Amino acid sequence: MEGKAAVTTSTEHGEASKTSARTVVIGSSRGGAASRALSVVDLILRVVAVVATVGSAIAMGTTNQTLPFFTQFLRFKAQYSDLPTLTLFVVANSVLAAYLVLSIPLSIVHIIRSRARYSRLVLIFLDSVTLALVTAAASASAAIVYLAHKGNVRANWFAICQQFDSFCDRISGSLIGSFAAMAVLLLLVLLSAAALARR
Amino acid sequence: MSGAGEPATVSIPIHDHAATGKAPAATSSAVPAAAAAAPAPAAAVAPRKVGIPFFRRGDHHRGSRCLAFLDFILRIAAFGPALAAAIATGTSDETLSVFTQFFQFRARFDDFPAFLFFMVANAIVAGYLVLSLPFSAVLVLRPQTIGLRLLLLVCDMIMAALLTAAAAAAAAIVDLAHNGNLRANWVAICMQFHGFCQRTSGSVVASFLTVVILMFLVILASCSIRKR
Repeated sequence: MEGKAAVTTSTEHGEASKTSARTVVIGSSRGGAASRALSVVDLILRVVAVVATVGSAIAMGTTNQTLPFFTQFLRFKAQYSDLPTLTLFVVANSVLAAYLVLSIPLSIVHIIRSRARYSRLVLIFLDSVTLALVTAAASASAAIVYLAHKGNVRANWFAICQQFDSFCDRISGSLIGSFAAMAVLLLLVLLSAAALARR
Repeated sequence: MSGAGEPATVSIPIHDHAATGKAPAATSSAVPAAAAAAPAPAAAVAPRKVGIPFFRRGDHHRGSRCLAFLDFILRIAAFGPALAAAIATGTSDETLSVFTQFFQFRARFDDFPAFLFFMVANAIVAGYLVLSLPFSAVLVLRPQTIGLRLLLLVCDMIMAALLTAAAAAAAAIVDLAHNGNLRANWVAICMQFHGFCQRTSGSVVASFLTVVILMFLVILASCSIRKR
């Protein structure tokens, strides 16, 4: 309402005020719709990220493979908790899923009130912190999964995927959901920053 | 709202809020600010230190200029650990004086793909930080360019994510090298390769420091976008 009043009074005065009037017009009529669209996209991306993260955590958390035979050198049972990095992965994904679910109301508030600035800043801060967390967890477990697939000749680390193939498939597949959630979070931070710059 | 005051406000190229409460206040402070801004570029030509003409009392971009200066300083601070981590990992090469039948007797960063990725990512981030220094300097001189700030924020975010991924992967391998894993029969190689282990552990720590500074840069950029 105040924006509209400023537009009408400033367009009355001469040609020198055209540029500022034009920017004010763009700011109040189209800017509201554009940032509202950004907030809707934000909400949709958050829901997508929740689904990806929960799927990833469940896929990793329910890994349990017991080999029908056993040798002297290798244990015959593999779980995600045997590798501490994969435990970190499950924990970080659970934290991310909880955070995303809790931040959906805040995103809805942004759709309703497009002028909220402090809450967008808080959202950017929390989003980037969780982005760092999930990137670290996903990347560390990607390194471990790569090691499990290929092994390392120099360090004499044996590739365990040759025995535990179903366990290996599961942990490799659950990385995909986590990396997708990481890309979505990155996009969310950039969207929030773009919406903040539109004011 | 006085009609005589409005064209005087508009002729000064300062993009202020559209709220009406700010406009009458801006008229009174805008005219002395215009008078102060005119001698300020003239004073910058005179042989003086760069910082002094910009932090005058009448300069109402002072807050954003402070933030942009802090941004510039932090970029230089982040460049150091990134470059150090890249160099330390790149020159890690240890050959044992004794060799056994079971272990190979030489360790380089090439042997671990995670360390290769780590070194490359650190080199990329160090190069990016150097290349973004002029843009940050431009932001100190002209704090009202929002597009440049947004571009720097986007690139900072991408580089921070890349560096976090690389540092986390290297940290996983370093942790495995220190502790080994009983279940998978992976032996801790740090018992043999002391120097290699210390060097890579130190560069992982330095790289995480760079990540923290980059995240702080992102927060700072979004704060100064909001402030405008």
